[in-house]
Amino acid sequence: MENIKEQLAELLEVESVNENDKLADFECWDSLTALTIIASTDENYGVTLSNKELEEAGTIGGLINLIKTKKGYEK
Amino acid sequence: MNLKFHNKEIEGILTIIPAREVKFEEEMEHYNFSPAKSLKLKMAMGYNKHCIVEDGVCVSDLLIHGLNHLFDKNLLIKDEIDAMVLVTQSPDYFMPATSNVIQGKLGLKQDMICMDINQGCAGYIIGLIQAFLLLEQEEVNKVLVLNADVLSRKVSKRDRNSNPLIGDGASVTVVKKSKEQNVIYGFIKMDGVGAESIMIPAGGFRTPSTAATAVEDEDRAGNFRSPDNLVMKGDDVFNFVQREVPPMIEHLLEKASCKKEDVDYYMFHQPNRFMLQKLADKLGISYEKMPNNIVANFGNSSGVSIPTNIGFNIGSKLLTEQLNICLAGFGVGLTWASLLMKIGNLRFNEIIKF
Repeated sequence: MENIKEQLAELLEVESVNENDKLADFECWDSLTALTIIASTDENYGVTLSNKELEEAGTIGGLINLIKTKKGYEK
Repeated sequence: MNLKFHNKEIEGILTIIPAREVKFEEEMEHYNFSPAKSLKLKMAMGYNKHCIVEDGVCVSDLLIHGLNHLFDKNLLIKDEIDAMVLVTQSPDYFMPATSNVIQGKLGLKQDMICMDINQGCAGYIIGLIQAFLLLEQEEVNKVLVLNADVLSRKVSKRDRNSNPLIGDGASVTVVKKSKEQNVIYGFIKMDGVGAESIMIPAGGFRTPSTAATAVEDEDRAGNFRSPDNLVMKGDDVFNFVQREVPPMIEHLLEKASCKKEDVDYYMFHQPNRFMLQKLADKLGISYEKMPNNIVANFGNSSGVSIPTNIGFNIGSKLLTEQLNICLAGFGVGLTWASLLMKIGNLRFNEIIKF
């Protein structure tokens, strides 16, 4: 999970991301970007996310917490 | 549920594709997204062009064209047809069954069974399963599995979620009793809790089509569609496929005592290239053994993507050799189903245009 911010920055097509950044504010944010995040989270962490959960997570920090929580649950 | 069938085989497969091809770029202006964003989607999903019917064309038109082709070439004899199983979600009418309409128009014998089945992405597998069951009857020797959909007619042109990938098509698969002993393994599951993941909300008896159901609204992602249109919850479908399909295939192969590498081809339903690549990665199967080029060349024609896949990628090969093939379909219902069977030395296996 250490390099999750780097991975998210790559998917969101920016140099770096901060915990407070809002997902919906990224220039490239759309349903495709959401799907690539869902797919890579499944692939890298074995965690399944829905669009609704991404929306509710809201920010980069919220998303990382969600993945951590779900990873704990699902293991 | 595990399934097993004995001594059945496919004699030939014909796929009928609309001649009208539409490029992704031609429709980009309808979408509520910048061209750059849409082109990114095209790259990721493997969109390029899709084949869709002209206004007013129905599944029976495509199928009658295909069946007449087979009759004209002497590849099929009318009196030999003991049953027709039509799998479609876009029938000509609510009633009667479109398979009955086709029987009448072609002047087929009365001594036969016609039935329509409402299934989509897994429809080709369901049709084959039904054919195998019918062939258990003494007097049923040859069954046609007709799989066809013209769902482009139900997709909003302003829906970037569904429009770029939708394709229309039809296929005729001749299934018969095999002289040689063989075993076909199958697996099927359904989950109606996910019934709304892929649906056309209006137009049936629950919500009849009215002027109001034809009004297009914008969804949260920026796509416009009406309740009369097909709607797909992309995230639900993606997660469902990645969760259920790999274990299904592992289980099917285990039941058949077949190793992954002993399967020559994994000919799966193709929702888009992205989903197929993720499936292949999860199963540890090479992209060569699990082709993913149907959506780019034809669009996703629901269950018909499987016979299209077979015709396009291993069409001529199957005329002269027999291969061990794993078929799988997954989607609307939700339904997921698979078969492991030998297919080959086919009498015909081609794609024609309508």
